[in-house]
Amino acid sequence: MGKYILKRCGYIVVVFLILSFLMYSLYNLIPTDPARQELEPMRKSLKGDEYQVMYQQLRKQMGLDDPLVVRYLRWMGLWKDTDGSFNGVLEGNFGYSNLYKRDVVEVIKTPMGNTIFINIFSTLASLGITIPLGIYCAVHKGKRFDSATQVVTMLGYSIPIYIIALIFMYLFCVLWRVFPIMGTKTPGMEYTSGWQEFVDMLYHIALPVIVMTFGSLGGMTRYVRSSMIDALSMDYIRTARAKGLREKVVIYSHAWRNALLPVITSILGWFLGIFGGSVIIENTFSLNGMGKLYWQGLNNLDFELVLAIQMFYSIVSLIGSLLIDISYGLVDPRVRVDK
Amino acid sequence: MKNKKGFFLARWFKRAFMGNDHEVRDIMAEEQVQTPFRTMVRNFLGKRTVRVGIFGFVIIFLFVLIGPRYWVLDLSEQDSTLVNLPPSQDMMNVPSELRGKIVDIAAGRTYGVGLDTDGHLHTWGYTRITDKINIADIPEEVQKADLTMFAAGDDHVVALDADGQLYVWGNTRLQQGNFSSEMKKAMKAKDETWDIIQLEASNQFSAAVSSDGTLYLWGNSNVADIKLRKQYQGNIAKVALTSNEYICLLKDGTVAYTGYKDKGSAFAAIPASLQDEKVKDIASTSTTVAAVTEDGRVIVWGNAKNNERDVPAFSSPVSKLYGGRFHYTALLEDGTVVSWGANKYHQCDVPASVAHGADIRAIYTGNFQNYAVMSDGSVQTWGLKGFVLGTDGLGRDLLTRIVNGGRVTMTVGAISVIIATIIGVVLGGISGYFGGKADLLIMRIAEIVGGLPFIPFAMILSAVIGSRLDPTQKMYLIMVVLGVLSWTGTCRLVRAQILAQREMEYVTAAKAMGIKERTIVFRHILPNVISILLVSMTLDFATCMLTESSLSYLGFGIPLPTPTWGNLLTGANNSIVIQQYWWQWVFPATIFGICTICINMIGDGLRDAVDPKSAER
Repeated sequence: MGKYILKRCGYIVVVFLILSFLMYSLYNLIPTDPARQELEPMRKSLKGDEYQVMYQQLRKQMGLDDPLVVRYLRWMGLWKDTDGSFNGVLEGNFGYSNLYKRDVVEVIKTPMGNTIFINIFSTLASLGITIPLGIYCAVHKGKRFDSATQVVTMLGYSIPIYIIALIFMYLFCVLWRVFPIMGTKTPGMEYTSGWQEFVDMLYHIALPVIVMTFGSLGGMTRYVRSSMIDALSMDYIRTARAKGLREKVVIYSHAWRNALLPVITSILGWFLGIFGGSVIIENTFSLNGMGKLYWQGLNNLDFELVLAIQMFYSIVSLIGSLLIDISYGLVDPRVRVDK
Repeated sequence: MKNKKGFFLARWFKRAFMGNDHEVRDIMAEEQVQTPFRTMVRNFLGKRTVRVGIFGFVIIFLFVLIGPRYWVLDLSEQDSTLVNLPPSQDMMNVPSELRGKIVDIAAGRTYGVGLDTDGHLHTWGYTRITDKINIADIPEEVQKADLTMFAAGDDHVVALDADGQLYVWGNTRLQQGNFSSEMKKAMKAKDETWDIIQLEASNQFSAAVSSDGTLYLWGNSNVADIKLRKQYQGNIAKVALTSNEYICLLKDGTVAYTGYKDKGSAFAAIPASLQDEKVKDIASTSTTVAAVTEDGRVIVWGNAKNNERDVPAFSSPVSKLYGGRFHYTALLEDGTVVSWGANKYHQCDVPASVAHGADIRAIYTGNFQNYAVMSDGSVQTWGLKGFVLGTDGLGRDLLTRIVNGGRVTMTVGAISVIIATIIGVVLGGISGYFGGKADLLIMRIAEIVGGLPFIPFAMILSAVIGSRLDPTQKMYLIMVVLGVLSWTGTCRLVRAQILAQREMEYVTAAKAMGIKERTIVFRHILPNVISILLVSMTLDFATCMLTESSLSYLGFGIPLPTPTWGNLLTGANNSIVIQQYWWQWVFPATIFGICTICINMIGDGLRDAVDPKSAER
């Protein structure tokens, strides 16, 4: 098992390097000139020749004329900078945000916390709902409840999440006024304790989490249901029943364990779907999260920020796939033997 | 056998829409001779959800396919007077209490005001200006007053009573009701300087002309030129207001531009052909003015962008002229009525009963509306009745945008699915049939591409590559981006299928017969995979439409003003739109939701039909 995990980790590092290189070169397609930007305020006080000299000097200093690979490695912190030090992503320097006039690391601190919090919350909530629901539907296949669930889950994955968000906003914020429509905190509110702040935030993110959960119910419930039905139709289930085992044991111990295998493989895609979907949700609800920041960065051409957030998304997807692989190995002994 | 296979799609559609072949067979016999394909089709069409899905999808598809011919999209279209109108068709519905008793009518922007013989004032059409201001809330003092004259502007109504008192209601926040000191003085004096003979209202400003030739102008001086050159005061016979300027007919029968904009105004250049003519009437649209000469000719000048200058040939001299927003309506001396100018809302389609020498008592023309009151008291109307699905924040017809947006969304969805399928089939085929290193490499790439969070990645591709493209190229870019990012599912599916089929006996047989590998893959294996491919294409079609719309919703898909079902909903996420302008999100959301649900129903049904095992689930 340890060897297997190591192998997967190595694979992930390679993929991360490839991905980040691709992202970096994509980012370099954009015609920007940091040296010129840097010199722009001084331009009037300098003579033409002086300006040219300083400009060339600065370009050299910034390493703008070096090959793409060198610049990439510098950015990653794997190559010496022009001043001889390593200063890149691996050293914790993600660059400077032009939009916020601060280091990217500082800018993304709070939004990252918010996004992870919201996503984990809604992932847990949806798993908590979909798995029991899927199992129940599989066991009671063809009954009225099952058919109703089929229809509702179909709605869930057919309707885009922002439309669900609009409908929920209309119902909960406009019609019944249960939840606030936007933001992560009550405007003008001063908190007396951390707990109060936390409760206020929970209150604000409740609706986005509900919407995300609702939107992600559909696919997963169907998947759990169908793999459970497959498992229940196996011969060993008949054997188990023939042995006189209780139905609960048959379902949860014999069938569910085997139904879990295909479910786990699909969880990654589904989890990433939730993460990607949070870009839409955060924008719709004006939440201070990575998705919103990403959107702002792209709209304002703040590409160092965008690149950092893109790295975040890639890392999330890679760690997600690592976790899935590990749990797959834990659940299915064959995987450990085969690889 | 080969022949049958080749036409399977055609046969399928024949059976789907034209029923069975006409051979009569024994039921048992049919069961026995049925090919797997027939079983598939029967399973497919036998389900109610599938039939509902096909029905719904075909209707929406035809609507979106044929609709743009009737609701032609004009990308530059926008009109500040038609902003945020709710769905309605009653903009010209004169109330029944008013019919037959009409004394006077004033046609406003999207509403009408009418006075009946009992002195009651009625309003109709869309009278709401903001959520607080409503033209239909006629102030009590106005209800009681004995009105003699009134005029309807864009967002306010001006009325005059027999005592010479002026009333303004509607939107008065922009000084629409701010009378100047001279007016107040004249109003008090009540001599002939305040013997009002004409009252006009336009975009946030109003005008009154008294019998001694004094012109009073008041309202929002920031949008309109409401000053008058001194030398003309006391010499005015009639005034015509455009959306932010005005011209005057003087008492000596000449037309003069009397405002202060002079060189900046298109109206100041009064045509030379009017120099030695006597003018008897003037009228205006929002950007042009027109004069009727003594011998009944019409001359139009100004900024004519909507064919206002194409004055038709009249059967007799013009006696009276009225102006709407972009059109003119003329009453001729022989009683015929002619309209010309922009005809987008059919404001120039004069009904036959009015057009030819009917007995007309009066004509009233407003924004896009025309009313003709006949001598028997009945009212004939032509022009804009309203919008079936309302308008958006720029005054564009929502129905047109939904129809055309659907076409864009479906096209983008379809083409990106085709791109994804081609990539998926080729790579999946290579990786499945040849295996080995190619397989390993392709599957790793698929893993990476499939493992990326879709929406952020599509956003950055669209932003980085799309920044240098024009809107049409950007549309192609979105198709390619969606296709390139969503082929992994198809690739895996095809690979798995081919892996399974490769071990089948018919492939072994084909190999034994010495058939080339390429032929085996494409002629023997692929047809067996196609049914499953069709399922994934159907489901992917819905997914691609969803993704495109999500991207457009975020502003990284198809750029405005090209409509798609996604970017119609951009900006709908605030409480004002959600609550007050509900039609702007409910209709696009509904049709889009129904469309994707139908496609998913068809896809699910197809999957169940192709893979009978899944039907047992």
